[in-house]
Amino acid sequence: MIGNIPIAKPVRKFVFHAEELLGTEIVIARDREAPLAGQLIDKFTYPVENDYIVFPAHYVGLIKDFIIAKQVMTLLIKGAAAKRGEYKVLSFTEDSVYNGLRQIYLDALKDEAKKEKKLPVNKLIEMLFLLYLHFHEDLNELPWNPVTNTGVYMKLPKLRKTQLYYLMKEGKEDMDEMIEQMEIIPRRYFVLSKAMFYARDYFLAKTLPADELMPVINIPQMKKFDHLEVKEMLTTRWTHTAWYQSKVFGDSMLTIMDTSIVNDWNANPDLDYYYNLYRIIGRTTDNLLSYMTMTGWFVWEPVKHMQDALQKKDEYEQKALRRIFGDLIL
Amino acid sequence: MPVKEAVEWVKKGKAYAARKRFKEALKAYDRAIALDPAYAAGWFAKAEIAAEQGQFAEALALCDKALALDQNFAEAWSKKGLCLFSLERFPEAIAACTRALALNANDPTAWYIKGVSLDEMGRPAEAQEAFGKSLELEIILDMEAEKKRTGR
Repeated sequence: MIGNIPIAKPVRKFVFHAEELLGTEIVIARDREAPLAGQLIDKFTYPVENDYIVFPAHYVGLIKDFIIAKQVMTLLIKGAAAKRGEYKVLSFTEDSVYNGLRQIYLDALKDEAKKEKKLPVNKLIEMLFLLYLHFHEDLNELPWNPVTNTGVYMKLPKLRKTQLYYLMKEGKEDMDEMIEQMEIIPRRYFVLSKAMFYARDYFLAKTLPADELMPVINIPQMKKFDHLEVKEMLTTRWTHTAWYQSKVFGDSMLTIMDTSIVNDWNANPDLDYYYNLYRIIGRTTDNLLSYMTMTGWFVWEPVKHMQDALQKKDEYEQKALRRIFGDLIL
Repeated sequence: MPVKEAVEWVKKGKAYAARKRFKEALKAYDRAIALDPAYAAGWFAKAEIAAEQGQFAEALALCDKALALDQNFAEAWSKKGLCLFSLERFPEAIAACTRALALNANDPTAWYIKGVSLDEMGRPAEAQEAFGKSLELEIILDMEAEKKRTGR
């Protein structure tokens, strides 16, 4: 491990475990500009010599340790898959972009027909690919979340209180996401996006035993959660929202997570163990895609394919729009 | 009272350090110290840079200089604790953090360093207590920062 950061013993051991298993050296650094969830810059994704974990500079204690632990878990899962030559991500092609945009457009037309205040055509067209990319990003990240969180919960019991706080914070941010675009994007996609996070929150609330995660009651700002169990804490916000449809879809997605994320968490943590977690993430992603009827939207490919696709995204968007709208566009 | 110009040079140095321009920051701190060698904050600012760069023995010596000038310099005690932890001098790290916390009980870093040091020494129950305090403070600070950031 390279870095001048004090880290709690169990997390340091976990870092050493990852280094030993993957044959790598992990550089850990603080950075003012780092995203709140920290960032993993790994050899399996980027052309770097070491694996890097950066975390926001203002985190000095256990929150920082939790961020590091979660990124190490992600690294282990990626690394185990990469060592078998099987590490793939959701990417896209010219055809898959067309599939996605066409479906979003058809759904948008249905929504627009019911609206009093119509969305200007140029805005509607612009929205198609933005929404598509939004789901691309979410589906590449969200299925990792319940798996890495459960993994950290099982491996690092001393971080559980921190984890609870972090999950509540993260959940709130995810709920706020897209709110500003609520009136613009087709309702179906707003609901599906929220439902994924709903399912994630409920899955974690069920999976992480409540007694270990009682809130830190000395914190005035958290007093309102006093005496609540983690399940109530993570789920209250959903039952108090008017987004009933999110709940309906979310319940189905929760079933998907329950049936896809099945693992012996206490098994020997070798490369097979982490590779199995990778397969679970893949399975969860596929099942969510199928449920949301998005199977033709994306393709599983090596990271390089996705990086190339992102370089060509404007071209793919233009070609897809031309196929949908013909000469009416451009 | 410290020399006014020395205070200004430390401020300038901190602005450089925030942008990771450590060379310029150190020059500014040296100017501050040259103007007022009894200004503890000047020595401490140098210690912060040394610690940031992983030079913990040097940072420790600089903390000691600052503390020799001002025994009640809470941040310097806290940084000293961090340096001692990094040098694996755990009992001394605990003592330094305890002193820092006596001066400022709301320092999440001092609680955390105390916790990790106690854990290293095989005193898990005391470590948990320190970690609990550290987490409480970190959460409060984080929630306040979030409120500022989002306005909610």
